[in-house]
Amino acid sequence: MIALLGPEASWYLGVAAFLFATGALGVLLRRNPLIVLLSLEIMLNGGNLALIGFARNLGDGGGQIFALAVMAVAASEVVVGLGLIVALNRKRVTLDVDRLNTLRG
Amino acid sequence: MVWGAWICLLSPLAAACLITLGGQRLSRRGAGYLATAACFVAFGGAVASFIGLLGRDGSQREILSTAWTWITGGSYQSGLSILIDPLSVFMMLIVSGVGALIVWYSVGYMDGDTEERRYFAYMSLFVFSMLLLVQGGNLLLLLAGWGMVGLSSYLLIGFWHERPSAIAAAKKAFVMNAIGDATMALAFFLLIEKANSLDFGILGGQYSSTVANLVALGLLGGAVAKSAQIPLHTWLPDAMEGPTPVSALIHAATMVTAGVYLIVRTHAIFEQAPKIADLAAGLGALTLLLAGLIALVQVDIKRVIAYSTMSQIGYMFLGAGIGSYPNAMFHLMTHAFFKALLFMAAGIVIHALINEQDIRKMGGLRQLSPKTYWGFLIGSLALVGIFPFAGFFSKDSILAAAMAKGTYGYILWAAGLAGTFLTGLYTFRLLFLVFWGEPSAFVREHFHALGRDVIAVSLAVPVGVLAVLSIVGGWIQFSPWWHPVTTWLQTVAEPTVTPESWQEWLSIALSLLLGLSGIGVAWLIYGARRLAVPRLPFAQRTLEHKFYFDEAYDALFYTPAVSLANLLRRGVEQPLIADSGRDLGDDTRDLGGLVARAQTGLLRTYALAIASSVAVLAIVFVVVK
Repeated sequence: MIALLGPEASWYLGVAAFLFATGALGVLLRRNPLIVLLSLEIMLNGGNLALIGFARNLGDGGGQIFALAVMAVAASEVVVGLGLIVALNRKRVTLDVDRLNTLRG
Repeated sequence: MVWGAWICLLSPLAAACLITLGGQRLSRRGAGYLATAACFVAFGGAVASFIGLLGRDGSQREILSTAWTWITGGSYQSGLSILIDPLSVFMMLIVSGVGALIVWYSVGYMDGDTEERRYFAYMSLFVFSMLLLVQGGNLLLLLAGWGMVGLSSYLLIGFWHERPSAIAAAKKAFVMNAIGDATMALAFFLLIEKANSLDFGILGGQYSSTVANLVALGLLGGAVAKSAQIPLHTWLPDAMEGPTPVSALIHAATMVTAGVYLIVRTHAIFEQAPKIADLAAGLGALTLLLAGLIALVQVDIKRVIAYSTMSQIGYMFLGAGIGSYPNAMFHLMTHAFFKALLFMAAGIVIHALINEQDIRKMGGLRQLSPKTYWGFLIGSLALVGIFPFAGFFSKDSILAAAMAKGTYGYILWAAGLAGTFLTGLYTFRLLFLVFWGEPSAFVREHFHALGRDVIAVSLAVPVGVLAVLSIVGGWIQFSPWWHPVTTWLQTVAEPTVTPESWQEWLSIALSLLLGLSGIGVAWLIYGARRLAVPRLPFAQRTLEHKFYFDEAYDALFYTPAVSLANLLRRGVEQPLIADSGRDLGDDTRDLGGLVARAQTGLLRTYALAIASSVAVLAIVFVVVK
């Protein structure tokens, strides 16, 4: 790979960490499962950004390939998650993750 | 000859196995006859060995036949071997001969019992064990036989297992014998350590006096327990709970005399430990006196004979302890004849009175059952040692030998003489009470004579044979003039004391006199009833409690052991073992409850837990790196 243009790797990592933290907060704080799912996607994309940043920094394509794989997994995960939410909605269950506590010990 | 000895040893074992495996395919009486036949075959084998040995020169009469190497451990080795020498053949003849007669008698006595097959299997097993004991070619096999004899005695005493008293007696006998087995095993350990072998030959080696004393003491412990000598004697009277032929076989003719055999067999070590040998003689003298005294007040016909057995074995211990081995063995032989005779005659009385053993209810049986009376009379005369019956020849020579042993010997001699008087007294008290006088109401009501069938034959013939042996058996040896028994045993057990001629005659005269006066006093009190029974409440109570040995052992061992066990149960087992299981379960459940609270069912708490854990891990990873 030729010499790198643009900002240094730490910038990428900073943005990635910000994205990840935003997503994590969303997962922890929001009650709507749709938003939780969305926040999960943001976390994944934070991770992807870190992968790509490292790939660029190290001049190795492996990280980009890995990010593509994560996207594929994320897409299928969204399918499953949305399917679950639709199923919940059909059963007339309130879409609130705090109510979904049947697995309490 | 070697084959004869092996057949002698193995045929009772074969009978025991056949009866056990045969089960219902064998009729009850068939089992009895099978056991009898096996014992007679064993006797035949013993006779063959005897004749074989007779044909050999004196120094050649010791054959060790090894089947295979039994145990190897390091440089230690023991073979499964039998020893054929004058002593073992002597014992083989007595055990298998008298044993065969008693097993035959059992066929009649046990007729109609519900578990005859088991009985005869045990009897055969016992005869095998006893033969193993006397034929064993090294101390280890001797110990094996010793233990098996204890086991079969346990099984036979507790044969009537529906009686709690029989079970208790069996346990008592087993525990008492186990004490002796343990001291013997300890002695053997010491011998293995010092000589690395358990062959009989090592007993003659030189040991330091401590080792010799300890080994002799261990052996004496075994002998004392098996032969029911003080202080381990309390099991024998209780063992009378077993069937009468068992009492005749085990507790008169064979097993209880094994202690005497042991001392004679291992006399080399006792000669190196003279103090222990003296102790054996002293215990014998003490036992013969105390047992004779206790026998005076017993009211159970079998218990009287049991105490007289203890007393007579006391004489044998006395003889063996002072080194007069052939005389001890000779008395063992004559005792086997007349004591088996007494037990079996008593068995006929008990049988005729439908299992009544209390002599206070008996009386006048002489008129009803004259032949039994004659058998019993012959046995009694032989027991007291009246000329010309068997006991006369054997007992007096032991007493004479004691005189040749110095001052200590004279004390023993005096005790033995006093014992002769007691023997006359208690034996004829029994005889007069049971057979003389008018038949009591109980006897008139319950007596039923024997028929003239196969049962009567199997009861009467062995008694008759033993009666003849009790008359003529003693003539084999008359120590002032002829002594083939001593000569026969010379190569194995050379006596260390030889009494003078005047000592022989003095002992004979005095013991005859004292025996007769014992009989006379018994006749005055119980026969003719010219004298009232002396009333000495204190002595009476002491004797009826058998000198409080049982009570003392209860207070010394049993009660403390039970209280300690109870204490441990309450103080240790209950809190530590029983409760700890429950507590462990409770605590685990409580802990589980605590952990279960963390499982909220809320996705967010899990996510938070994961996130914070990862954060902590990341920080640790970065910092520790």
